[in-house]
Amino acid sequence: MTRLMTGAAALALMAGGAQAGDLTLQLKWVTQAQFAGYYVAQEKGFYEEEGVNLTILPGGPDIAPTQVLAGGGADVIVEWMPAALAAREKGLPMVNIAQPFKASGMMLTCLKESGISDPATDFAGKTLGVWFAGNEYPFLSWMNTLGLSTEGGPEGVTVLKQGFNVDPLLQKQAACISTMTYNEYWQVIDAGIAEDDLVTFKYEDQGVATLEDGLYVLEETLEDSEKVTDLVGFIRASMRGWQYAAENPEEAAQIVLDNDETGAQTLEHQTRMMTEIAKLLEGSDGTLAEADYQRTVDILLSGGSDPVIQAAPEGAWVSTITDRAFD
Amino acid sequence: MTELHLGRTYWFLQNIQVVAGGIVALVATHWLAPTAAPLLAVWLIAWLFNAWLAGFDTPATRAVVPIIFGGTIILLWEMAVRAYAIPTVILPAPSQIAASFAANTGILWTDFVQTILKGALTGWLIGAAAAVLTAIAIDRSPFLQRGLLPIGNFIAALPIVGIAPILVMWFGFDWQSKAAVVVVMVFFPILVNMVAGLRATDAMQRDLMASWAAPYGAALWKLRLPAAMPFLFNGLKITTTLALIGAIVAEFFGSPTRGMGFRISTAVGRLDLPLVWAEIVVAALAGTLFYGIVALIEKKVTFWHPSQRN
Repeated sequence: MTRLMTGAAALALMAGGAQAGDLTLQLKWVTQAQFAGYYVAQEKGFYEEEGVNLTILPGGPDIAPTQVLAGGGADVIVEWMPAALAAREKGLPMVNIAQPFKASGMMLTCLKESGISDPATDFAGKTLGVWFAGNEYPFLSWMNTLGLSTEGGPEGVTVLKQGFNVDPLLQKQAACISTMTYNEYWQVIDAGIAEDDLVTFKYEDQGVATLEDGLYVLEETLEDSEKVTDLVGFIRASMRGWQYAAENPEEAAQIVLDNDETGAQTLEHQTRMMTEIAKLLEGSDGTLAEADYQRTVDILLSGGSDPVIQAAPEGAWVSTITDRAFD
Repeated sequence: MTELHLGRTYWFLQNIQVVAGGIVALVATHWLAPTAAPLLAVWLIAWLFNAWLAGFDTPATRAVVPIIFGGTIILLWEMAVRAYAIPTVILPAPSQIAASFAANTGILWTDFVQTILKGALTGWLIGAAAAVLTAIAIDRSPFLQRGLLPIGNFIAALPIVGIAPILVMWFGFDWQSKAAVVVVMVFFPILVNMVAGLRATDAMQRDLMASWAAPYGAALWKLRLPAAMPFLFNGLKITTTLALIGAIVAEFFGSPTRGMGFRISTAVGRLDLPLVWAEIVVAALAGTLFYGIVALIEKKVTFWHPSQRN
């Protein structure tokens, strides 16, 4: 009993110990140039100038950012909109406060020898590699718009749960695999497959692109005026970081490497990634464009028998933070 | 009877302190943390009732006491989730898990067949057969004994997260690669037990066989294999749970879109935690059943062994 009491007291102290300006950011994936803007802003002192003390938590294959947010492990998370809206429908009140990425970097990369040239006609009967843990939603939406079942068979597509590498394509276990323009595609190239032997289908080109790498918080965070001030500073500094990273890809890649505790990344790969990420940032100052949001929602709703979300979300994004940051 | 009666009185005297302490704790909790009071009350009442029941040592109470204990834990879990409004993504209530279980029986059955029957059971049978044959080979030849045992030991030390992706490359995405992971996991424990079992006969018994001029095969079949059975079943029982764990975890490294490991890892990403817990319930039930069946076969096969006598 007494131990319980002291525990409760300690917890209360810890909660009181959080300083004003403290924010925790949970990334969607491991430390890499995909998140260079945040690392650059931290390294260059942009957050300090805004009075924000930011802690960046790298993600990984076994980390679902939405779950971290729900558990109170982070104030802000980087997440893709399909997963965020699906979580919102599941009763987790998360809100988009900024959208640094304008374009989607997702694509299917196929071996030319598999004979696929047109998604509308050539996917049927093929095996495709897909990531799960919330990243399957854009793919499922796309297959629905093509009218393909994901249950296999000659008329549908057979789905493989792709691991964290590009092996299924290299070993020809799948005709196509999911890749990001800035990461896995280059892993395939680095594995010795020539670009001419590959066919790629970008979600952007197929008209099924959904918003990626937005910044999300819980609704209750937006009711705390101090937190909102911190978030405004955080967004302003982050976008400065992104701008700097896009203009100086090599320096940004080096900063990312310095922050990578795993030592798994190389400068060449990170510089290339930063160059590709810069293309996705073009045309966004961090403010969410309503047309992009609407397109994402429409794609997710067009799920046929099994849509990703059942109803159009209400209040899933706010412009209050970006408005205050950039006026 | 008087002894029993004295025992009951003694029990009451012992527990009067507990009752008093419980009441004090309840009152204190009621003042300090009102939400926790009902939880503590339920716990105390169930505990006292169980302690009182345990005083009667009959088959009926022996069956009921653990059921009451388990039921109390589930009841407290449900109460705690409601009292403290714990979010579903952190810990779903048992009622939610039960509802998810009932709503997804089709999915759960598909996953059970894919992971337990195809992956775990196939791998376990192949691994056990290979281990028994290897053990007999080791027993027959000292040369193999010096070579094979260290290799078996080495295989046992391989981390599953390291071999699973490699086996997925070799055997493809479907259940075959999961069975291969299970084979690797269960092989060594069964091998070690079987090798020990084949040495379990004593010199007197072996001399008797020799005095009847029994060839190696006959001595093995009639004396040493039966004598090894308790050891073999020990290995088989230990590896039932290993096989389940291996088959489920192997699915994290690439799988078709069915299977318990697939469902557990992907449903977390979809924040469908009740389904994750429903899968965990299936895994727990399957594991218990699997172990129980092996233990039952053991009872039938090694009825002669002292450990089976009641």
